[in-house]
Amino acid sequence: MKDGIANNSTASISQARKAVEQLKMEACMDRIKVSKAAADLMAYCDAHIREDPLIMPVPASENPFREKKFFCTIL
Amino acid sequence: MCDQTFVAATFGPCDNCGTASPLMNIYIKNEPINYCSFCVEVMACQGLQKGETLATLKKECESLKKKLEEDRGKLNDVELQQVAEKVEVVGALSIKTRRVLKGHTNKVLCMDWCKDKRRLVSSSQDGKLIVWDGFTLNKEHGMSVPTTWVMACAYAPSGCAVACGGLDNKCSVIPLSLDSNENCAAKKKTVAMHTNYISGCTFTNSDMQLLSCSGDGTSALWDVESGQLLQSFHGHTSDVLSLDLAPSETGNTFVTGGCDKKANVWDMRSGQNIQSFECHESDINCVKYYPSGDAFASASDDATCRFFDLRADREVAVFQKDSIVFGASTVDFSLSGRLLFVGYNDYTINVWDVLKGTRISMMFGHENRVSRVRLSPDGTALCSASWDNTLRIWA
Repeated sequence: MKDGIANNSTASISQARKAVEQLKMEACMDRIKVSKAAADLMAYCDAHIREDPLIMPVPASENPFREKKFFCTIL
Repeated sequence: MCDQTFVAATFGPCDNCGTASPLMNIYIKNEPINYCSFCVEVMACQGLQKGETLATLKKECESLKKKLEEDRGKLNDVELQQVAEKVEVVGALSIKTRRVLKGHTNKVLCMDWCKDKRRLVSSSQDGKLIVWDGFTLNKEHGMSVPTTWVMACAYAPSGCAVACGGLDNKCSVIPLSLDSNENCAAKKKTVAMHTNYISGCTFTNSDMQLLSCSGDGTSALWDVESGQLLQSFHGHTSDVLSLDLAPSETGNTFVTGGCDKKANVWDMRSGQNIQSFECHESDINCVKYYPSGDAFASASDDATCRFFDLRADREVAVFQKDSIVFGASTVDFSLSGRLLFVGYNDYTINVWDVLKGTRISMMFGHENRVSRVRLSPDGTALCSASWDNTLRIWA
C-alpha cells in the first residue's frame, strides 16, 4: 500500500488500530449453525423452483425469447 | 491499476496547525481531514494506551483473527453439500442462445437489464452505450461517452435513465428521452467522482441514489440530483472490482469484492463494514447476492466461485474443478437460487448446482472472455456480455 508522504509507522498504527476495532466488532456477531443456514437455503430453493423459468420451462408461447415467431420492425 | 490513491497529497494550510505544507487528505470516520504529516503523526499517537505499540496491536490483530476463525468453525456442524444430498437432481437444462446482439465495435464490458424485462443497456471499451430491446434486437439508443473502457453501466429502476462509468473516474447519469432525434449524451450529468476508475455502479431502490465502487479502494453512495456524497465506505486495501445491492426485502446492505481477495458486507446508512470474508486466493471479480439475501456468491481469478452464508458468517461451498484453470469474471443466480451461472475467461459460461456444488452444464458460444452475465428481472433469460463485441441472450 502506498503511504504517500507519511511516515510508515503512522499509517501502520492507524491501520492496525482500525483492523483491531473492526475485528472486535466482527467477533460480536450472532452466528447461526451451518445446518440451519443450509436448511434455509434449501427451503428457499424448494419454494421457488417451480417458478424458475430456466429450470421448469414455461411453454414457448409464453416465453418471448423462445417464441419461434420473428419480430419485424416497421422502418 | 492497483495503486492506492485515496491517501493523496495536496499543498495548503493544515487544518490543525495552520502552516502551509504538503497535506495528507485522509478520512476519519468518513470526514475528510487535511492535516500536514506532522499533525497526522501526532494524532495517530494520541489515544495510544500505555504500552500499546505497533507490535502489540499486530499481535492483538492476529489473536482476534484466530478467535474469529475458531468461533466460525464451531458452527460448522455440517457441509451444505451433505444437507443437499437428499435434494432432487436438477433435470437437463434446455438453455440455448436465442439472440445475438451485434453492434459494439469493441469489447462489451458490462450490461444491465431494465425492470421491464425486455430492455437492456450495454457498455463497451469503444466508449459507447447501447440500449437494446431484447425481444426485437432493436437498438433504441446509442450514446457516446468521452471515455473508453466504460466498465460499469446500470439501468435506473424507472427505466428512464442509465448510469455509466469507467476510466474517467466518474459515474454519470444519462436520462433517456423518447425522442430518437434528441442527443441523449448531451444531457449527461456527472454524479460520482472517485480518484481512480469506476468498476461498478448501481442505482439503489430509486432513481435518486447511486452506489459506485472504484479502483481507489472505496465505494460511495451519491445523491443523483445534487451529486452530493451521502456516504463513503472504506475498508478495502486495494481496488474494489464489484458490488451488489441486497434484494430489497432484506434491508440496506450491499456486498463488495476487491483485489485484496476480500468480500465485505456494508451497512449503507452507517458506512460500517459489517462482515468480511477472506477465502479467495486471488482478486474477486464479481459478487452477487443469493435471491433470498441471506448469502452471496463471488467469482475470482483463482478459477473458483465461492458461496458465503451471511447468517452463518462463513464460506459454505466452493465451485471448482481441476479442469477449470481460467479466472471466473462474473456470476449470477437463477430466480430460485438453485442455479449459478458463471462466466469465465475461457469463453464459456458454466452452470453450477448451488446446493450440490456440482457443475450441471456448460454454455458455449462466445468467442472471447465473458465479462458479464445477468439474469432478466423475471428470470426467463440470461444475458451475457463478452470481449468478442457481442451480447447473447440465452433462454
